[in-house]
Amino acid sequence: MARAIIDPITRIEGHLRLECEVENGKVVDAWVSGQLYRGMETVLLDRSPEDAFYISQRICGVCPISHSHASAQATENALGITIPEGGRLVRNLLEAAQFLHSHILWFYHLTALDYVSPVNALSANIADTYSLAQAAGTRPADFGAVATRLKAFVDNGQLSIFSNHYWDHPGYVLPPELDLIATAHYLEALEVQAVANEIVAIIAGKFSHPMTSVPGGTAFVPTVEKIDDILYRFIRVKEFVDTALIPDTLAIAPFIIDTAGYGGGVGNFVSWGVFEKSGLVPEERYLPRGFAKGLSVEDVSPDDVTEYVEHSWYSSKSGLNPKDGETKVKFTGYDENAQYSYGKAVRCKELSTESGPLARMVVAYLREKGGMDVAGGAEGVRTPAALIDSTLEALGVAGKPEILVSLLGRVAARNLEAAYIADLALVWVNELVAALKGGDAKFWEGSSKKDGKGVGAWEAPRGSVAHWEGISGGKIDHYQVVAPTTWNIAPRDAGGVRGPMEESLVGSPCVDVEKPLEQLRIAHSFDP
Amino acid sequence: MAQEAHGAIYDLLAVRGVSRRDFLKYCSFVAAMLGLSEAAAPAIAAAVEKGSKLKPALWLNGGSCSGCTESMAQVDSPDVATIVLEILSLNYFETIMAAAGEYAEQNIADTIAAGGYLLIYEGAVMTGEDGNTLLVAGKKGIDVLQEAAEGADAILAIGACAVDGGWLYGYPNPAGATGVQAYLDKVKVKTPVVNLPCCPTSPEWVVAMVVQWLLVADDDPATFLAKTALRQRTYTDRYTGQNVTLNYPEYVVGSTIHDNCPRRGHFENGDFVTEFGSEEEAKGYCLYKMGCKGPQTFTQCPITRWNRSVSWCVASGAPCIGCGGLNWVDNGTPFFKRLSSMETGDTLGYVQPGSVGAVVGGVAAAALIAHGLGTKAAGRMGDGPPVEEMKVYDRKHGAKKGGDK
Repeated sequence: MARAIIDPITRIEGHLRLECEVENGKVVDAWVSGQLYRGMETVLLDRSPEDAFYISQRICGVCPISHSHASAQATENALGITIPEGGRLVRNLLEAAQFLHSHILWFYHLTALDYVSPVNALSANIADTYSLAQAAGTRPADFGAVATRLKAFVDNGQLSIFSNHYWDHPGYVLPPELDLIATAHYLEALEVQAVANEIVAIIAGKFSHPMTSVPGGTAFVPTVEKIDDILYRFIRVKEFVDTALIPDTLAIAPFIIDTAGYGGGVGNFVSWGVFEKSGLVPEERYLPRGFAKGLSVEDVSPDDVTEYVEHSWYSSKSGLNPKDGETKVKFTGYDENAQYSYGKAVRCKELSTESGPLARMVVAYLREKGGMDVAGGAEGVRTPAALIDSTLEALGVAGKPEILVSLLGRVAARNLEAAYIADLALVWVNELVAALKGGDAKFWEGSSKKDGKGVGAWEAPRGSVAHWEGISGGKIDHYQVVAPTTWNIAPRDAGGVRGPMEESLVGSPCVDVEKPLEQLRIAHSFDP
Repeated sequence: MAQEAHGAIYDLLAVRGVSRRDFLKYCSFVAAMLGLSEAAAPAIAAAVEKGSKLKPALWLNGGSCSGCTESMAQVDSPDVATIVLEILSLNYFETIMAAAGEYAEQNIADTIAAGGYLLIYEGAVMTGEDGNTLLVAGKKGIDVLQEAAEGADAILAIGACAVDGGWLYGYPNPAGATGVQAYLDKVKVKTPVVNLPCCPTSPEWVVAMVVQWLLVADDDPATFLAKTALRQRTYTDRYTGQNVTLNYPEYVVGSTIHDNCPRRGHFENGDFVTEFGSEEEAKGYCLYKMGCKGPQTFTQCPITRWNRSVSWCVASGAPCIGCGGLNWVDNGTPFFKRLSSMETGDTLGYVQPGSVGAVVGGVAAAALIAHGLGTKAAGRMGDGPPVEEMKVYDRKHGAKKGGDK
């Protein structure tokens, strides 16, 4: 028996510790610990609802748009506001830009270095690299220049952000040519994610921390010129998704096909749904609301959420729905047999439940197979089921969607979701143009109500986000957030049941407890 | 190798196809950021070129959301790859570094042992629960900060949270958040700190300060502050109970957002937006009546703009919420109500220390940036803003007393 510990987990947003019990090269138990408490819900009390829109998004600098949309929806729900059609489309575009930014950044800059070795790329044959890129159908680059640049960097002896990683771990199995392709795309992706965020800046002033999706709709009024600026950027990002992100995923997958055999975890999935259609019905969103247990799907509501704190550093009452929830911090020291995390154990329908792209794509896939027109008949859009089925076929496992519930499946689901969203964004731009041409586009709706209770349940790139809000006399008297990663990094609940990331670690191979690469990969697959 | 003649940074820029001309152009951009004349560009170029090694740096995340890291990834010029690969050796950068766990922590220990590094700190300093509200590798976040700060040549406290605790410091500050300078004063660490405001901070401001540090640090780290044109603000920190003096670069906080706002003309003419998503917004009218904090907020946002200069808050239709000010959440909320203070063009709490006007690398400062590029200099229209009418409007709409102090 040995312990594999990664503290801190890097290449994530936030502070996370991971501890695994390893026996005979396999993880037999795991504990995941959130290491930071900031107190957002308490800071929001007694402020105005629109202040919560601006402040609560600061929970996460990588997915602030999703938080701001959940907060705005909580207020709209509480005060009986229906956002106008123009507001719906602008919010969809803003959210799409953030998702594309986030998914591209995650794959190339946060998790790729668990599979790709830029050092190994130095021994690539440049001609072979071009042949491989062509065979894989992935984007060519000036591979020779990238190799020269890498060599100069390595020769200088200062590896900067690449220093002191597990580079000699046997898990780095890609051929050097593929390492070089991925490294070239790592550099190009830095540019593309910034282009995606320029869309955010046009609509919402800046990224991180957007300004315009205020309760009631949006403060952004598009002009023809601004729509033009948005459209060409979406086209550019979509091109990168189609010519790099997707083919790179498919090119790397055969080398790491063992990751389809572990890392699946609890197999319960929640999605609050994201990207509104006209009518604003959560169950009919482009990525619909739903709860999946294995491969069967059912309805779900924010009322199905319960939070437990038996193993968390809080003295609040355990077992509450967030509409009655409380957050009273009380640090008692790290002890995996008692309290060990600032994360609460959030449960859906009393089950340990995963959220994120895999959850959304599984719910959408099952809804689509059940007859729902998930993409709303939009032309030229590759739907979730079409994307998943074609990927399974490409990997030689056609008709076996259950294989998605694995480490590899979680990686692939995120990138396939990016392809779906990139397609949809172009549809929404056209809808916005049509609305402007019609001359009746409205973007914001006010309300004179000062009291109410509401919940905004939405999706961020990395998971399900919901804000519960109570407003009394125009001031916030209750605010609780279940953040996206709270679902996945949850500690054990009152019954001792592990959280989703913990469960996905159990059974995974651990070749070297000093360098637990497989466990780092699993942690990163949740994009925590 | 040419390395002896030019230095590693020059070589690496050449390798990635940055021409001498482009490099000098970039140095001119940096000169402007630093408030220097174009004539400073060759001096900056020479200083960057002479470096034979990348400059070691540690980037630590305190109680952060990683928004400032994200902001860095949106840097315009040089692109982020240049920063990472060619100017700084970021030996620790939690959000993007390859290494994890104890291997990552070893990079901190090695860098501290070698000395001569820059510390960049993002996020609030977490003192709550006896310093346990932030834990990293079994240590308290405050202890990691103190150790890294003691050995650093200089510190950049980037973003509102690092400056004074940011939103976490908002009442009742349940996690015991405070700023870098306040905490280092308390534990008596004297390493110079320069603060960069806003939530998140601007990547262009960080780059300008890194270049500033590269220029002077090799000569004498102790004179880093003396050689940088600064403004200071003093406030009383609620956590330490002490008066804290913050250093900001003059080029960032030298004038208000209102002074440089492209919508200023509409303010002067009395053309206001009074409802979100309206025709007035499509025309780009002034957002003063929507609660804009531009008149009280001292940052360069309208000039630098955001996301590679594509846009900024007011350009997208949102009023400034004053995230560049001190204790911005308590002072700014409710965001859609005006503050009753109408001063414009004053320095509201900023003072210039004795060293201001001192020079970078021996080049004379020409403080052109703030006012020279602003619309303030473009002349007023009509008879000036309807100040009295707006004061009546403010009172009717429940304006809050006070300003960004």
